[in-house]
Amino acid sequence: MRWFLTLVLALTAGVGALYGLTDGFTALTAESARRLDVSRQPRAIHDAVAVNDQEGTFSLRSELQADGRVAIVNFFYSRCISLCLAQGFVTQRLQEAIEADGLNSSVRLISISFDPRDHGADLTRYATNMNAHPAAWQFWALEQPRQRKALLNQFGITVVRAAFGDFEHNAALHVVTPGGRLARIVDLDEPGLALQVAKNLSRGRQ
Amino acid sequence: MIRYRAPFIFGAMAVLFMVVALGAYKPLTALMSLHMLVQVPLLILAGLFAERAAEPRLTLSAYEATTSQRRSWSCNEYGVPGLLLVSLVGAAWMIPKTLDDALVDWRVAVFKYVGLPVCGWILGASVRRAPAVIKLFFLGNFCWMSAIVGMIYLDHPQRLCNAYLLSDQEWAGHGLIALALALPLGWVVAKRGALN
Repeated sequence: MRWFLTLVLALTAGVGALYGLTDGFTALTAESARRLDVSRQPRAIHDAVAVNDQEGTFSLRSELQADGRVAIVNFFYSRCISLCLAQGFVTQRLQEAIEADGLNSSVRLISISFDPRDHGADLTRYATNMNAHPAAWQFWALEQPRQRKALLNQFGITVVRAAFGDFEHNAALHVVTPGGRLARIVDLDEPGLALQVAKNLSRGRQ
Repeated sequence: MIRYRAPFIFGAMAVLFMVVALGAYKPLTALMSLHMLVQVPLLILAGLFAERAAEPRLTLSAYEATTSQRRSWSCNEYGVPGLLLVSLVGAAWMIPKTLDDALVDWRVAVFKYVGLPVCGWILGASVRRAPAVIKLFFLGNFCWMSAIVGMIYLDHPQRLCNAYLLSDQEWAGHGLIALALALPLGWVVAKRGALN
């Protein structure tokens, strides 16, 4: 009997640990966990000092508020030659879709660099290479290391240093409201869904 | 004399493994393969050796005084509850999210640095109580699980851990498959004398 009780206890403890570690058997990777977590509980993002390709500094939250459009945000670094290019291509298609559907007044795209080496000129060069239209697609970098770290943490972006000054990082489309809430994280493979979510959020606000 | 030397060596090894796993945590968690296949096993082995170091004293007192010591462990009959718990915790450390979380979530870090040595202790105590058939059952289960997870790691074209590189994921995959081969081989070699 005692043996049976400890067996049940061991089973409960072990399965309980698995339950806790996988967010209730819903996520095996940290990436899927952050996406699920945000969709269940949208996060209010911290403010940070940002710089854009015109070399102007501004407060990230006030800019979101002042602009008033729902933003689809992704993270990159301008020297990237792998994942960011794929991500850039997806964002280009989103730009085309926004312009074709006449959504310029309700949805925009923002690419935020996490590389401390990126400044105004790097952003301009990258924007030109991407054929970005300034009205639909903006490029920002973060000025202060502590704020950059806090913001990346909050979005759940993990940046790992790789060889030759490269970075490896997780990528996705982050839908952010003008009120500064990270509402949803959508996979790079589903830009249509990201746009739909952004459209719905924007419609809900009007 | 000899009786007390073995516990001393086991105790020293337990301390050594714990010191290495804690002291070198930065380099050991820098790579997924080292994190999963060196630091986690070191923590388990630290607990296992600590149990080995304490064990002769346990049996000695059991012989000398009462059977209370033995009775206190009768809840772990044939080591089955203990081995079940250790298997489940072993499975937990093959989940990519656990490795990522151990770096950023203090609760998972506690689960690692406290939970794993405790599991090692339980493993040592359970293996001693388990008959060969039960050992074989749990070892077999652990090995196929480790091999399958290793193959999934190798097969996955994207990174499973946000904190680790893809090339490192492949190393971890190879390592898990190697573990699935090495453990039963080691067991067979250790048992060779008993079979003859």
